[in-house]
Amino acid sequence: MPRHEVLIVGGGIAGMRAALAAKERGADVALLSKVHPLRTHSGTSQGGINAAMSRDDSPEAHAFDTVKGGDYLADQDTVELLATAASGALVELDHWGVPFNRDGDGRLDLRWLCGAARARACYVDDMTGHAILQVLYEQLLKADIPTYEEWVTTRLVLDEGACVGVVALEMASGSLEAFSANAVVLATGGCARAYEPTGAAYGVAGEGVSLAYRAGATLMDMEMVQFHPLGLRGRGLILTEALLSHGGYLVNGNGDRFALKYAPSYGERAPRDIVARAAEEEILSGRGIQEFVGLDLRHLDGDQVKRQFPLTAHLVKAQAEVNLTTDTVPVRPVAHRTIGGVRVNADGATGVGGLYAAGGCAATGVHGANGLGGDWLLEALIFGQRAGASAAERGQRLSRGVEIQLEEEKRRIAEIADRPASLERAGTIRVKLGQTMRQYVGILRDASGLEQAANTLQELRARSQRAGTTNRGKRYNYELVGSLELESLLTVAEVIAAAARAREESRGVHVRQDHPSRDDARWLSHTLAFRRLEGATLSSKPVVITKWKPEGRRY
Amino acid sequence: MQATFKVYRFDRETGGKPGFQSYALDLPEDATVLDGLFKIREEMDGSLGFRASCNRGLCGECTLRINRGGRLACITRIASVLTKDREVSVEPVRNVLVLKDLVYDVETLLWKKIKSVRPWLDPARPEPEREYVVPDEKLRPVRNAMKCYYCGLCDEGCSVIPFDKTFVGPAALTKAYRFVSDPRDGARAARLRALGEPRGIWDCVHCFEADEHCPRGIEPTQRIVDLRDAAVAAGIKSGTKNPQVARHYDSFAASVRKSGWLDEGRLALETWGVRRIFDLLPIAWRAFRRGKLPVPYRHPKRKGAERIARIFEKVQGKHS
Repeated sequence: MPRHEVLIVGGGIAGMRAALAAKERGADVALLSKVHPLRTHSGTSQGGINAAMSRDDSPEAHAFDTVKGGDYLADQDTVELLATAASGALVELDHWGVPFNRDGDGRLDLRWLCGAARARACYVDDMTGHAILQVLYEQLLKADIPTYEEWVTTRLVLDEGACVGVVALEMASGSLEAFSANAVVLATGGCARAYEPTGAAYGVAGEGVSLAYRAGATLMDMEMVQFHPLGLRGRGLILTEALLSHGGYLVNGNGDRFALKYAPSYGERAPRDIVARAAEEEILSGRGIQEFVGLDLRHLDGDQVKRQFPLTAHLVKAQAEVNLTTDTVPVRPVAHRTIGGVRVNADGATGVGGLYAAGGCAATGVHGANGLGGDWLLEALIFGQRAGASAAERGQRLSRGVEIQLEEEKRRIAEIADRPASLERAGTIRVKLGQTMRQYVGILRDASGLEQAANTLQELRARSQRAGTTNRGKRYNYELVGSLELESLLTVAEVIAAAARAREESRGVHVRQDHPSRDDARWLSHTLAFRRLEGATLSSKPVVITKWKPEGRRY
Repeated sequence: MQATFKVYRFDRETGGKPGFQSYALDLPEDATVLDGLFKIREEMDGSLGFRASCNRGLCGECTLRINRGGRLACITRIASVLTKDREVSVEPVRNVLVLKDLVYDVETLLWKKIKSVRPWLDPARPEPEREYVVPDEKLRPVRNAMKCYYCGLCDEGCSVIPFDKTFVGPAALTKAYRFVSDPRDGARAARLRALGEPRGIWDCVHCFEADEHCPRGIEPTQRIVDLRDAAVAAGIKSGTKNPQVARHYDSFAASVRKSGWLDEGRLALETWGVRRIFDLLPIAWRAFRRGKLPVPYRHPKRKGAERIARIFEKVQGKHS
């Protein structure tokens, strides 16, 4: 049985940063990832990463934009920590080799992203995530951290309520193996595959969230699901919102810049929740261009656009068969990020001993009810680092009961893998799940729709237990992985729907048409979810307010 | 849209011969090849192995050979590749070990080679307190090389790798170039020396297939040429294990400069040296028998040799 002091589950930016931090503290750390680290979803992030780098900016100003952007649901102490640590993290990335674009003085250039009061995002053309991912992987190789690539973690091993390892499926052999550890850091990304269409990679299936939930961890703010306004026609490729902050227009079928109705002074530069909601309402009320709205950059200098967004220009042409600079580009809101996740403190601790979480699967509370562009990568780095470092401090553990739990897990997985063929298939159920979530637990929600969603989810859960398999081979059994992912997606979807039903107000990305305004008296609090036999049990926890009293949110 | 997918199937576990299996599919007009593969796996045949991740042309994971061309399945529309018989063939890329169906050994094709070029920055000292102050245009080549998403199509198209699997190949050399071109790196000379060893930059035959195959427009062959130029400019014309590269380089240039054309006899002699030249005797004998080695050997100046010599002067002036 492989043993490491710290195990990281997930090979994206948060996971690799956590691994490096654990290694810096002298821990024997290893990383398990479902796909090769360079193929993880982190690489698709384009726009940039926020830090108060310029002389006339400050961590306070950054923190305020984040708090207001999150519609005052953010924990302000954690946001301040994030904003203060940002510039150090950026300098570190530069020293490791991220080729950030420079300004005329050869210093880090800054780009304006939506919801910010000023230009604050460092960037690498339109491939910021891709560049950071590569550089972290380089550092991982330099630090000689072992990686288990194409290993799917299916279970956390618990001993007296503490996490002492994991059970994972090796794709190449199809065998399950147990790993023991003093601490486990989950960094598996969010749950956006619970929606269809989505901008998320296939693997973003909420496994970390459901693993921790099953192990007794608390989930937080699961109802907060962010949609991105710029999902391209075709594959749903999400274009960087820097296209909007650089002056791009969003137009409806009549050619009107509708965002100005919703955000008179910021317009398209307003935070994503507002712009995505505006686009959704235009499309639903028949003012769209079929089921899209138009991204219009024709008034901008075409050469400059192509220089700033070379990759985007290429992908728009290839995937939507239109020209970024001379055509109106068809876009619509698609599910992007799940803000909620495993509730963690600022050191990534989940409350379950030995279990930490960071990045997309964790809820640090910094994004409140809506995360801003440029804060997501930052969160993954800062809290990835902190989670890795604190996991490394955890003392030696005996890994008792690992073998028994491995045997149990082998039986559970074999039961799923060996189900007889049936008309029910995991893939079709997943599509139905995604459509249900999009329709009833999407941008615009109400009580009756959410009830409908809960019922459908129950049906889908029952159907998923009848779903059959046809693959009897063990090696590279992706059908089995699909079944496991469906199980995890159903689990997180149930919590998302339940939390959305409970929050009777509209705040940030959570828009209840039957409760259209924000209600600070009742709902200035996080939603917590615990797993009980009968399903999710919800409670709440007040938001941490330090400097900024909640006020009206106008853009 | 009706299409017949002919998909490569092979399973080491159950043995059996590799072959193509046909699936008749009915898909939306704008469906991609990856949509088709998922339809097969999720609705028809759960045993089909293929990899996929981002599903929007950003990660390189679903690189396959589709209707005999290397492509990313997720951004290849079926309509754009369909044959007259409405067929789409899908198989692993060439020159790789197939693990199962469309899953192939990327570790050997790519990852191991990338790991071999010391793929991390050795920060130039002293490390500044804040970011390195560097003009943006110095980082543009770095960013260009970092557009690479490791699809491996340059290595698949490489003319050398089929004959010598140990050649480090265009993908890893592009990775190496990313560091060599980075003004923040402090190990440039050491890198160039290491890259000059056998199986490195001098083994490329500049067929430019890599540039043809790269879907990101990185032009890996050009990057290898850049590495060679950088090595020569740094006075590193070869590795310690293949000193003949530098001699070949010098002799080639010297003979063209002197006579206006390549003096092959001199090239062989100067490249291999007097002692090794005996190894070339069998080749010389064969060349002689086919009338390709004139006796007595002469190498007269070409007409216009002076003008060619002036080209050398001009180019050298430009570089120094």
